[in-house]
Order: sequence, then structure tokens, then C-alpha cells
Amino acid sequence: MSDKKRVSRRQFLNYTLTGVGGFMAAGMMAPMVRFAIDPVLKSQEGGDMHSVASIDEITNEPQRFEWTIEQVDAWYESEVQKTAWVYKDENGEVVALSPICTHLGCTVDWGSQEEHPNEFFCPCHGGRYTKDGVNVKGTPPTAPLPYYDHKVKDGMLYLGDTISRKGE
Amino acid sequence: MRWTKTDTTQYLPEKEYVDTVLIPLIPFDPASDGHMVKQAYQKELNHVFTNLIEKEYKGRIFLAPDYHYLNGQNERELDRVNQWIATFEKQPFKHIFLFTFDPKWKKHEFDLEGELIWVPGPSSGNIQSTETQSFVKEQAHQISELIQAYW
Repeated sequence: MSDKKRVSRRQFLNYTLTGVGGFMAAGMMAPMVRFAIDPVLKSQEGGDMHSVASIDEITNEPQRFEWTIEQVDAWYESEVQKTAWVYKDENGEVVALSPICTHLGCTVDWGSQEEHPNEFFCPCHGGRYTKDGVNVKGTPPTAPLPYYDHKVKDGMLYLGDTISRKGE
Repeated sequence: MRWTKTDTTQYLPEKEYVDTVLIPLIPFDPASDGHMVKQAYQKELNHVFTNLIEKEYKGRIFLAPDYHYLNGQNERELDRVNQWIATFEKQPFKHIFLFTFDPKWKKHEFDLEGELIWVPGPSSGNIQSTETQSFVKEQAHQISELIQAYW
């Protein structure tokens, strides 16, 4: 009886070899599997949020912040610089606006014109936007400046994609 | 606007708003070991400058394809440059600017049909460094103010 329970030398070696072999196979397979499903694990391009500024830096006056993102298209992988005008409104809510003029894509400036100190101004064709980014009637742009998707985490402001707004 | 499919498609219906052309003038001499590095560096720098200006004023400035010519042949190139300018004016573009680091153009400035913007550029350096970045940003800002003065 006791003989049956005993593990023979041959069996012992078999078990050990299988065990060690199994470990080695697993060690080799794990990175391969990881590579294979990597695209699935990767977060979607464009859905990324980027840390742009500390929340303490943001005042009631629009400030220009810049950051870079990796942009990938069919042929090139490039670093693209992004810009936003960021301020806090009367309720202390953060507002992040895209500086790209909705007319033809120039970069708008805040308060650069003496006659309209509290407006965004486009130097190309004199387009104007109020502080909340709404286009002033009678100037070339036909839609408000897009918002940036934003969130605040650990005292930092994160910005994502732009959300365009409909013109009136 | 650039010489790309997307931008030219956008340009055509909005022609009346885009009235300025910026042509980069880039000298090179493939036979000269001594000047090659400097010329290549200034070509890169020229791209950084013109791209920055184009980005800020996309809706009004059209960035032309690079105008390459053999170094030192400025006088012989005058006709060809003016031909480029005349062709752009057919669009009609009102303001034609020529952007270059090559000082040899200065002498022929009055024979050029466009406005020459010659900037004394560094002949060496690191294009990625913070010094170069602030140099370019500062200069590009002033150049765009110069262009705006013509509008």
C-alpha cells in the first residue's frame, strides 16, 4: 500500500521537468500575448487628456497655455503644439477655449485691440468674440470658439478634445 | 494655408480673404562641403519660421512651396523669382513676401517685385534648444507685426 503512494524517481523527475518547463513556457508566452493584444489595451488616440496647467495659475483673465501632443496619421507621427485660452468665470468654473478662429483658422488673441479690450480678436480679418467665446455679430466668424473638454484632477487642469459649438 | 490638398481646397472658395503669400527663399550648394551644414540648418530654421507664421495667420497668409536656388546665383535668379511673384499675383494675391536668411538678396531688393524679409539667422545651433525656440518665437512675432503693417 505504502509503495503505491510513494513517488518513484522517474515520476519525481517528470513532475519537476513539467513544472519547470511550464514556467519557462509561461514566461515566454506572457510578453507575446501582451504584444498581441496591445492595441486593445491602449487608450484611444485623441481621447487622451493632457495636463496643461496648475489650477492655481488660472485667473479671471484669459491666459494662453501651450502643450504638445503626439499626432499620428497614415504617414507621419508628429508632435503638434496645442494652445488654449483658459480662465475662471464668475462662478469659479474653468473655461478653456480653442484659439482657432472659426472663420479661416487664424489664432485669436485676447484683448489685443484697444477699442475692445475684453474680447478675443482675430488679427487676420478682424473677427471678434466675447469673453465666453461667442462670435460678435457683423464680424467674419459665424460660430463661437470651440470649448476644450476639461477636467481638474489633483490640482491640475487636464484638457482633451475640442467640442465645437453651433453658430446662430 | 499651405500647398496641400486640404488647404488649397479651403482656399479656393475663400480667395478674397487670403491675400498674402509668403515665399521661403532657400539657397543651397551641393558641391560645397564647407557650407552644406550651415545651409541645411538655415533651411530647417526657415521652415520653423514660416510654419509658425503660417500657423498663426492661416486664414490670411498662404505659404508658397520653397523656392530653392544655387547659392550665390541671386542675380541670375531675379527673373525666376519675379516670375513666381507675377504668377501668384494672378490669383489675385495682394501682398507677396519673400522670407530668407541669405543676405545676398538685400543688394537686389529693389529689383524684386515682392517685399523682402531678410533676417540675419544663426549659422549653427540646435534647432530643438530653448534658446532657438525663444529666438524664433520672438522674431516670428515681430515679422508678423511687419506683415500686419502692410494689411
